[in-house]
Amino acid sequence: MTIQMVLIKLALAFYVGATALAVAFLFSREEKLSLWMLRLLGIGVLFHLGSFGVRQYLFWQIPENRWFFSINSFFGALSYLALAVTATFFIVEREHRLGILGAFVLPWATIGVGSAVIFADPKLEGLVPALQSYWINIHPIVLMTAYAMFANAFGVGVALLVQEHQIKSRKPTELCYRLPSIEELDTLNYKIIVAAFPVLTVGIIMGGIWAYNAWGRFWGWDAKETWALITALIYAGYLHMRFVKGLRGRKAVYVSMLGFASVVFTFLGVNYLSQLHGYLSGRG
Amino acid sequence: MTKVFRSVRFNIFLGAVITLASAMGTLIPQITETPEKVAQFQGVHPHWSRLFGFFNLFDVYHSYWFMGLLALMAVDIILCKLWSLPPDQGLVSLPPEETRELEAERHLAQKDAALKLKPYRADFKSAFPYNKAVEQAKKGLDQRGYAIQEDFFAQAGAAFVATRHRAQRWGSYLAHIALVTILLGALIRAVFGFVEMVPVIEGGSRAMQNKPDWNLFVDKFDIKYYPGTRDPSSYASALRVESRGKLLAQKTIHVNDPLDIGGVRFYQASWGAGGMFRSATLKFGDSVIRLPQRVLKKIPGTPLSVEADVMLPDFTVDQDGQADTGSLELKDPAVRVFFQMGPHKTRPIWLLQKFPNISFVENDDGILEHILRPPFRLVDVDPVLFSGIQVAYDPGFKIVLAGAILWLAGMIMLFYLHRRRLWVLVEPDGRASRVCVGGWSSRGPREFEAEFAALMGELRGGMEPRSDLLISRQVPAP
Repeated sequence: MTIQMVLIKLALAFYVGATALAVAFLFSREEKLSLWMLRLLGIGVLFHLGSFGVRQYLFWQIPENRWFFSINSFFGALSYLALAVTATFFIVEREHRLGILGAFVLPWATIGVGSAVIFADPKLEGLVPALQSYWINIHPIVLMTAYAMFANAFGVGVALLVQEHQIKSRKPTELCYRLPSIEELDTLNYKIIVAAFPVLTVGIIMGGIWAYNAWGRFWGWDAKETWALITALIYAGYLHMRFVKGLRGRKAVYVSMLGFASVVFTFLGVNYLSQLHGYLSGRG
Repeated sequence: MTKVFRSVRFNIFLGAVITLASAMGTLIPQITETPEKVAQFQGVHPHWSRLFGFFNLFDVYHSYWFMGLLALMAVDIILCKLWSLPPDQGLVSLPPEETRELEAERHLAQKDAALKLKPYRADFKSAFPYNKAVEQAKKGLDQRGYAIQEDFFAQAGAAFVATRHRAQRWGSYLAHIALVTILLGALIRAVFGFVEMVPVIEGGSRAMQNKPDWNLFVDKFDIKYYPGTRDPSSYASALRVESRGKLLAQKTIHVNDPLDIGGVRFYQASWGAGGMFRSATLKFGDSVIRLPQRVLKKIPGTPLSVEADVMLPDFTVDQDGQADTGSLELKDPAVRVFFQMGPHKTRPIWLLQKFPNISFVENDDGILEHILRPPFRLVDVDPVLFSGIQVAYDPGFKIVLAGAILWLAGMIMLFYLHRRRLWVLVEPDGRASRVCVGGWSSRGPREFEAEFAALMGELRGGMEPRSDLLISRQVPAP
């Protein structure tokens, strides 16, 4: 097993541990659980960064890949995505110190790294000529950062639905008191989406500028482009419904969740439809 | 009439229809992307195909109805934004009493009532005389990035409004104008622009369709592969463009690095091998023969001659059992040869470079039969490659780019700037003064509460305070 794989598997183990503690913290008032969740997560991130560093070093051994980010494969993309999810989680956690959100957000980071380890091929290959551009260090990173932020918003949305179910149920469990209020969760969901939406749209526009430099057209209705646009349209719908119609709570969360479903489809499903972005599935 | 088009319900509906139509175009095969899949679909589902064809579903994004929807969206955005001039309030509307209250403040009547409805309120007393207190409050806020908006000064007291990040109000406008600008750029491209693919073989030339006077010459085509593979690591064309024998420009173009002649751009888009080759090297026993294309050569020490006429870069056998190529890349090169002895010619035989133990004999109908272990093998082939040059002219791109920059500015202003608005009243209180500040912000209530308290603390600290700072939250913040 390569050092890269050892490190990422260690990261996965710590992520699984942190997720388990986060779920345990949902049902317990033990503050230590939350503290240890953050510690395990921190160690996991360090291993993950180490794995990333080693991968980057090996990637750069191929001269054509020098100074480009190793995000051209499914493995690299999933790994970066998981890292961005945890980074966003740390930021949200630092701002809000809710602790309890880990149970709803961290599974995404764990699934990301887990899928990379189990399903994706870690083999390093030379970049195809079309990807040998400084834009590969910008366009996919920006978009995947937005995806990671949306994953966090999705976690908050799930928490809101759970909380609403608790409040409406005749026998609310302790979870009801542990979770933040619906208003607070709704605001947080909104705040993350508001931060991520410009990142998403700017990432799409950057892709257009790269496409113009590589193929001579800003927009070509390629499946990946189209689905990224669909994602942006759904979130734009969410923002308009919220600002203009004052949509809040459960219904707003449903719209934002539809947006996240579109994110997942854009990232995974479209690789099998796209002619130009097929490289993620190894076809390009 | 415009009321319907301006309604949120209609716009959400329009957005949803565009979203669904866009999604449909990725699920139904599109003639511009995968014509072979469209043909296959038409073969399997003739009835559906007729319906799909009627609604242009095989070319959704270029259909009149889809373009109409986009145009309607652009018109709608303009209508909505025109109707809500002067600039809308931004993300969170100010308390509706704003205008009326400002008026009240201006006359210093009902000053407490004026501040009553502001989300946050701070009260403190300062040892400064009234004039100095006003000056100091303005200075303090100015230092913290606030601009003084409304200002009223009288013996009975002073009122002013200080704001920060007012530009946020324009964010929504900029973002929507940006969208219309981008759509306009796309329209200009659709009307005045063009794109065409010009495959030119190395050493050859070809005229363009959109500019028939222009000739593209590929003097040299360079391709490099990753070691041990047929995966290209880079490819480039030494391109020369001439118009009626006069040189317009020349450059070695790489992927991501085009040649630009007055806005017409030449991209290194693809490459491939047609059927042409410079030479094929055959091994026959101990003899090695290099065969130029379509040249009959004698095999030394035998009465036989051999000729190679066609090359396929990615050999496959098609459904009818005939030789075909899977792609134009050199994945599995094969060459067709004939052997001749006197007037007698053998049937054509396909030799595969990667699989020396298999070859195929072609009958009169072109059907292949495979033979094992042929006594000759194809050692190497030197193909004549063609360079796929995409020529594109997009006069709308700069407009799209301007739209993109506007969008970025709009997004930053709208989502990352937060407006703050403070209503400040200073009244004489004997030789000292009383300061009362109302606050509002588009920031989240929790964040602004902390910020407001800190700001007021600083303001009070610089004004020789004579009382505690009293901060109250008046009504739930918007």
